[in-house]
Amino acid sequence: MSMVKALVLTGYGLNCDHETAYALELSGAVAHRHHINSLIEGAVNLKDYQILVFGGGFSWGDDHGAGVIQAVRMKTNLGDKILAFIDAGNLVLGICNGFQTLVNLGLLPGFDHDYTKRSVALTFNDCGNFRDQWVTLKVVSTSPCIFTTGLDTLELPVRHGEGKFYAQETAMRRLMDENQVVLQYAMPDGSPADLKFPFNPNGSIQDIAGICDPSGRIFGLMPHPEAFNHWTNHPNWPRIKEKKKRKKDNTAPVITPGIRIFKNAVAFIRNK
Amino acid sequence: MPYRLEIALKPELFDAEGDGIRRKANNYFGIEIDRVRSIQVVTIDANLSKDQLKTIQTDIFTNPVTQFSSYDPLDIEFDWTIWVGFRPGVRDNPGSTAVEAVEDILNIKFGPDEAIYTSKRYCLKGKGLSFENVNAIAGELLANNIIQQWKIFPAQKWDPATGTGIILPKVILDHTPRVTSIPVPSDSYLQQISDDRGLALNPNDIPFIRSYFLDKTVQTARALKGLSDPTDIELEYISQARSDHCNHNTFRGLFQYRDLETGDTDTVDNLFKTCIEVPTLTLQKKKSWVISVLWDNAGVGRFDKDHYYVITGETHNSPSNMEAYGGAITGIVGVYRDPLGTGKGAKLVMGGFGYCVGPRDYSGPLRPHLHPRRLLDGVIEGVRDGGNKSGIPTTFGQVLFHHGYLGKCLVFVTAVGIMPAQVKGKPSEKKKTSPGDLVIMCGGRVGKDGIHGVTASSETFSEHTPAGHVQIGDPYTQKKMHDFLLDARDEGLIQFVTDNGGGGLSSSVGESARFSNGCEIQLEKVPLKYEGLDQWEIWVSESQERMTVAVRPEHLERFMALSKMHAVESTVIGEYTDSGILHITYNDVTCACVDMDLMTSGFPQWEFDAQWIPPERRGLFEPILKAPDNYRALLLDMLSRPNICSKEWIIRQYDHEVQGTSVIKPMVGAERDVNSDAAVIRPVLDTRHGLAFAQALLPSYSAIDTYHMTSCTIDEAVRRLVAVGADFDQIGGVDNFCWPSIQFHPQNNPDGKLKAAKLVRSCRALRDICLAYEIPLLSGKDSMYVDGHLQGNYGETHKVSALETLQFSATSIVKDIEKCITMDSKMAGDLVYILGTTRNELGGSEYYEHFGYVGLNVPKVDPEAFIALYRALGQAIDKEIVASAHGIYRGGLGIHLALVAMGGNLGMEADLGVVPADQIDRNDSVLFSESAGRFIVTIDSENRKAFEENFKGLDFACIGTVTQRNHFVIKGIDGQILVDVSVEDLKAFWKKPFGELI
Repeated sequence: MSMVKALVLTGYGLNCDHETAYALELSGAVAHRHHINSLIEGAVNLKDYQILVFGGGFSWGDDHGAGVIQAVRMKTNLGDKILAFIDAGNLVLGICNGFQTLVNLGLLPGFDHDYTKRSVALTFNDCGNFRDQWVTLKVVSTSPCIFTTGLDTLELPVRHGEGKFYAQETAMRRLMDENQVVLQYAMPDGSPADLKFPFNPNGSIQDIAGICDPSGRIFGLMPHPEAFNHWTNHPNWPRIKEKKKRKKDNTAPVITPGIRIFKNAVAFIRNK
Repeated sequence: MPYRLEIALKPELFDAEGDGIRRKANNYFGIEIDRVRSIQVVTIDANLSKDQLKTIQTDIFTNPVTQFSSYDPLDIEFDWTIWVGFRPGVRDNPGSTAVEAVEDILNIKFGPDEAIYTSKRYCLKGKGLSFENVNAIAGELLANNIIQQWKIFPAQKWDPATGTGIILPKVILDHTPRVTSIPVPSDSYLQQISDDRGLALNPNDIPFIRSYFLDKTVQTARALKGLSDPTDIELEYISQARSDHCNHNTFRGLFQYRDLETGDTDTVDNLFKTCIEVPTLTLQKKKSWVISVLWDNAGVGRFDKDHYYVITGETHNSPSNMEAYGGAITGIVGVYRDPLGTGKGAKLVMGGFGYCVGPRDYSGPLRPHLHPRRLLDGVIEGVRDGGNKSGIPTTFGQVLFHHGYLGKCLVFVTAVGIMPAQVKGKPSEKKKTSPGDLVIMCGGRVGKDGIHGVTASSETFSEHTPAGHVQIGDPYTQKKMHDFLLDARDEGLIQFVTDNGGGGLSSSVGESARFSNGCEIQLEKVPLKYEGLDQWEIWVSESQERMTVAVRPEHLERFMALSKMHAVESTVIGEYTDSGILHITYNDVTCACVDMDLMTSGFPQWEFDAQWIPPERRGLFEPILKAPDNYRALLLDMLSRPNICSKEWIIRQYDHEVQGTSVIKPMVGAERDVNSDAAVIRPVLDTRHGLAFAQALLPSYSAIDTYHMTSCTIDEAVRRLVAVGADFDQIGGVDNFCWPSIQFHPQNNPDGKLKAAKLVRSCRALRDICLAYEIPLLSGKDSMYVDGHLQGNYGETHKVSALETLQFSATSIVKDIEKCITMDSKMAGDLVYILGTTRNELGGSEYYEHFGYVGLNVPKVDPEAFIALYRALGQAIDKEIVASAHGIYRGGLGIHLALVAMGGNLGMEADLGVVPADQIDRNDSVLFSESAGRFIVTIDSENRKAFEENFKGLDFACIGTVTQRNHFVIKGIDGQILVDVSVEDLKAFWKKPFGELI
């Protein structure tokens, strides 16, 4: 079995790199954390990796729109290399600040395989503030996204101030028509949140929490799968554990949905 | 030439910021505005071509999907527009990142005179808005005149071509740096100099300082360096090092303690030594997990065999009181540098907060600089940005409202880090500087900001306190430095590291040079934000986000390369020596030359008279209060009290699970909306070990006796840890004292002797309880001047002193996180138990406060009895026979039973008649007494036998059951139903006061 190598970017205010690398390792990848500058200076080569993760954090303090300056720096210094990386059939994952970066880079939504155009945005939450809470997410079963294979509904934490997905009508229609919407905020029973706060925590239109490119290989989402790397990350785990105990259910906890997202990525590369 | 770019959200997009202002204007001031739109203003003071301007406009500053922008004023309709920008020299974080982005995309470098400034413009639409309305919104909501300036334009006076005009808040200091010699002919002259320069020298220190500089040997040595009289930089250095903030002169003072009741007297020499140091060192000998205490920036305990955890707590009261956002963000970002500067450096893994402010709805005559509501908003936001942008989870916190904090608010910030037990095969907790090591300053640059912050916080606050010490922390710059220093640590490049906080280089270099016993500093090498600073200003400036590092010359090249890769500025500013002298030059001319041992030699000890008047003699008594008969209304009103009710809006703004380590979150329960007893994290991801963390504050008891305030505060923090399943035998503590001034003065501080006695009693309790519970004090700080002078209705001023306050933070190890439990009831049919005894201890309680009483019977801690119970509970949790556990804290049994029910979203039936009680025969006493040492536990009825066996011989009782029917039913002592209320109603009242806030 060949080694699947994942690169998690660090530096300039990014901050979820340790747990993202950990989640990838748990999923069977070899994960390296590297500073954006070591990639730019050439000490690290994208060609050595098959999964590139733009993780969470506050790159450049998010001062001029979340992910904007990171996108500028990546595009200016590494634009061609990233496009070549995608052309080679590899995977790109953007989580939270990483998702914001992907839409500013234009890697998402990547309409017509144009990976340079900004046509959707993540803007300030309608509630007017940063928010940390867990959300229920519904996976759009028709999406080609390879990261969510086999998942239907799942819970993950959101932690952001600028997560409201926004696009103008034509772009929205294309996203829906071309099955590029991957995750939607939902009610605890799985029905659409339909903009209801706090189930849709930010006012995203169409309850959108994550999208992919037409190939399904580039995926961006606001929630944090890497923060559900252990069953005790779930806010209600002591309740779930107690219920299982009463049913005399001694089965080991299943792999968290957060880790399944990373496992799907590793499996895809392995089977390529 | 400067350019001004205005950027706004497209009109079809909801403007959350603008709408927030509209709502606050209405809620806070009753001003009706129809609509507010916000505009980001980026003012570029650099020579750029048309094409370059276009590129940065479209690629950086304008999102094509959501925004539009123009180098001309944007045409957004308004009746009034308000422009708000920083004053010159105030940290403009977005301005700095804008420079980085522009340099990157255009491949240029800004010159020293070029910069980018950010500001905001708000467009207000509303019929009948007056200038006074708009000015109130500007001054009371949008800007703080200490750090910001604003301009107001009515629509009819707006020139659409020029707009606000171009405003460049550039610092221009037309000043040639100069060292001033200060003669010291007499004590009174030096006192005058101290007053004039804001040195805040203690009068007792002055003769000693003079005698040093008048000493013949010293003078001869100084003459060789070209010095005679002390220089300003030398006096500043001594002032910083001797400040109460750095030196804890109060705690190290000599107290003449007298009990006015018994007439007994006692001399207490050095509270720090007798009540903190000795007990902690005694416990360290017993407990091998205590790795490093009492000397470094933070204390170190063992997490597992390969990792240590590091903890400390700080306050940032005075700056937050002046500029809430700036003070709080500087506070949290600042305390995060302490673990980073402990041992060879620790990675930050968790933060906590405690805010003590005046009543949020205060409407009395006193005029604090910031209204408590605004102050709290700002403090919350400061810690939000500081914590979130640092990527450190804020997992626990508390807020307390009391009139006494109108004079000065308290902002507690706590930081926890983790480091490998060894770095390159050497103990990570050890560090020293050696002769030949280079002195390197990393991180931010030095400006005039923060000058005299330390001495200002050692003084009572008045409206004339210079605002120069107010800063705005920059978590972005610090996060880069944090990542860099940890990389450098792991490569073995760091000999010594410490932070530049209070006192700036003066403290960090002065203290680190004690290890090698000397240093040579070339002050001209220190990178500045702008030219024109005097040498002494460079030396004591508290500009943030800086660390001082000792690096061997052979490691310099690698250290600097790594620094560059991380985009962090590092500069060699000198060398450590063993000369015994702190020697500072500026362009080869000596400006300071002080013996290293001066600061540790014979400075006189501060002295305090402490007179204890027992509460009875102060006229305190139990109120004459007949029992109520409407317990339903009483319980609901108690739940709605500001110090009891839900404050979920705060913790939701804080990222409390970044790093993916969260085990027990701040909010738990079926609907994740009730506070947990403690936070638990799994800081080393691939282990099942956890670190539990909790804090407690009970200043109301100080009105009766600070001994019991302190005991109960520690006991609460301990119970919080025990309740989630943490190990009772590995608890570490952090004490943060905030006290009003204790120096007696017949006019200015007539009750100073009592306050001093209260401090002595508090420290004695700290010693007694920590020894009994075996809690080493891993770290601690004190802030001794929490008083303010506030103006009233007639121009008169009132001294307002805070309650004597101790925040106690506690950590412990969780051996297996999968056994942790939470406080929410889990299943209908479960049994409800009370552990511990309820006594007639309502003195200082929330219940008495509800009626405006203080009372006398303050809760007391009985360590021996409590410890047995805590151990038994620990065992029961370990055996996994407990479904939920929750301590009974402020508000008493009634409040906390309700919280357990709310957490589970399940009903409960409980019988007060069987609650283990000592000399209580009233329902209200059982419900609201705040006796320490108690828990509420729910268990599966199948575990009843094993559970009761486990607690044999201890005070406990089964008082009821968890029910499916969603009702909270309390039966009184006489068997009658006292309260029957739906859990929904409990929650509605508990959330009512702040439920609308987001």
